[in-house]
Amino acid sequence: MIADERRGLIWWGWVGDHLDDIWQRTVEHVQLTAIALVVGCLISFALALLAVRVRWTYAPIRRVASILYTIPSLALFALLIPFTGLGMVTAEIALVSYTILILVSNTVAGLDAVPASVKEAADGMGYTPRRRLLRVELPLALPTIIAGIRIASVTVIGLVTVAALIGSGGYGVLIEDGLRRSFPTPIVVGAVLSVTLALLVDGGLALLQRLLTPWRRAERGGRELAT
Amino acid sequence: MSDVTKHFGDPATPAVEQLSLEIRTGEIVALVGPSGCGKTTTLKMINRLVTPTSGTIQVLGDDQMAVAAHELRRRIGYVIQQIGLFPHRTVGRNIAAVPELLGWDDDRIEERCAELADLVGLERELLDRYPAALSGGQQQRAGVARALAADPPILLMDEPYSAVDPIVRERLQDDLLRLQGAVHKTIVIVTHDVDEAIKLADRVAIMNVGGILEQYATPDELLRQPSTDFVAEFLGRERGLRRLALRTVADVETITGPCVSAGSTLAEAHDAMRTFGTTWVAVVRGPTLAGWVDRRAIEHGEVASVGDLPAAAFVSRVAPTTPLREALDVIVNARSRLAVVVDEDEQYLGMITIDEVAAALET
Repeated sequence: MIADERRGLIWWGWVGDHLDDIWQRTVEHVQLTAIALVVGCLISFALALLAVRVRWTYAPIRRVASILYTIPSLALFALLIPFTGLGMVTAEIALVSYTILILVSNTVAGLDAVPASVKEAADGMGYTPRRRLLRVELPLALPTIIAGIRIASVTVIGLVTVAALIGSGGYGVLIEDGLRRSFPTPIVVGAVLSVTLALLVDGGLALLQRLLTPWRRAERGGRELAT
Repeated sequence: MSDVTKHFGDPATPAVEQLSLEIRTGEIVALVGPSGCGKTTTLKMINRLVTPTSGTIQVLGDDQMAVAAHELRRRIGYVIQQIGLFPHRTVGRNIAAVPELLGWDDDRIEERCAELADLVGLERELLDRYPAALSGGQQQRAGVARALAADPPILLMDEPYSAVDPIVRERLQDDLLRLQGAVHKTIVIVTHDVDEAIKLADRVAIMNVGGILEQYATPDELLRQPSTDFVAEFLGRERGLRRLALRTVADVETITGPCVSAGSTLAEAHDAMRTFGTTWVAVVRGPTLAGWVDRRAIEHGEVASVGDLPAAAFVSRVAPTTPLREALDVIVNARSRLAVVVDEDEQYLGMITIDEVAAALET
């Protein structure tokens, strides 16, 4: 009887007994993701600003970020372990490095897409470079930047499950556990929750973008009105 | 501006060379020339969007390098061809940009926005919309309102009307002249359109490739006496016609023409016709024009005075404010080859023919 239940795709009895464990993994997963995204954003914005101001730095920044992005995650973990050991720091270094290419590219693309006439008007009115960046360029680049954060967050949430292999926690722990014991239930629970979390974060960011950029609706509506 | 030179990279091909230009307070000055003549560069040197390689520029009596660039720019309104409204801010917040930089309080900004909307002819409801919801003409007005927001003494305009269609352009140009009548700014406008320069400017600077100033004079003077072949060629073949557009009927000496008062006898009317060789006579009653009566009616009329005959209304009429170019059009289209001049109170002022128009151009 028990053996049959174990072999099924999901055994609700196990889920019921392990709610505490599942919650703890959820907290870990969210923490790992949030730290990676926040650190990734900070590093990427700094690099993007440098790339926009000092144009020649953009190519090398992109090249390094691309290399980091293409290293298989497992290999990167393996490379880092001798230096930073098993655990969260190693996981975060790897996760952050995967966000940089996407975030830098989108931030630079967003800032580049600000119309030259808008920048010239801001300068002509007496905006200081700093104020122009904060009040004009960043708000206008926001849709593209948030689009980048959405992609990065979905990528990171997926990668965090792999990071469980080096002992950093998260839903990956459930999946690993299921694999080791040939027990499908934790694998299904881990995978479904990971996907659900990714969808929730993606949807939440999409909503945030709509709220922060009300003028985008006017642009779409305006074009209809104008014709 | 004195001896201002700007080159980008290669000193052998300057964008602007040894340019000296004095722009008087309250004047509209147009910088005109073919592309590559450095007119936009010259304009941008005034608010330091471009820094001169050498030479000095004084703004309102002070060396413009004495203050920080952003401080200087807040005192100079700036309008560009693509307008450059901030898409993420409502029209009202766009207009509020410079007052915000200057730290005005919200009430004052709001009041000023409403005032400016009225001044440039923008409906107040539009202040809460985003720029994308506005037509090209409305965006242009919003751009001008934004430039005037902090009441700067100087307004710089870089090809402000070249992106809008001709009908809207003409209206916006008229609006600018009306606006200037109310605000009396010092306006520097860059354009490649000679007609626009002639229409708007008190003085026009014609520039040649390499930033060389060919001539700097009033539109009338330019058209009458172009100083170089380049200027003459640039102004085109229709210089005489363009001068006509600058002047109005009020500049012309009118003639009395075949005109009698309503109390005159038919014989007197007949004499007037013979003197001017016409087949009709104009009839005035007191100061106003009654109309015209044709020869047959006078010859066969059995009334005591001309005023008793039915008078037909004149079709070819002009007002003292009519531009001469338009008046000329009325004259050449009239069967009688003349136009009667009547002011807005229907007061009769006289008649003009092609001869009078031509005479006015000689002065």
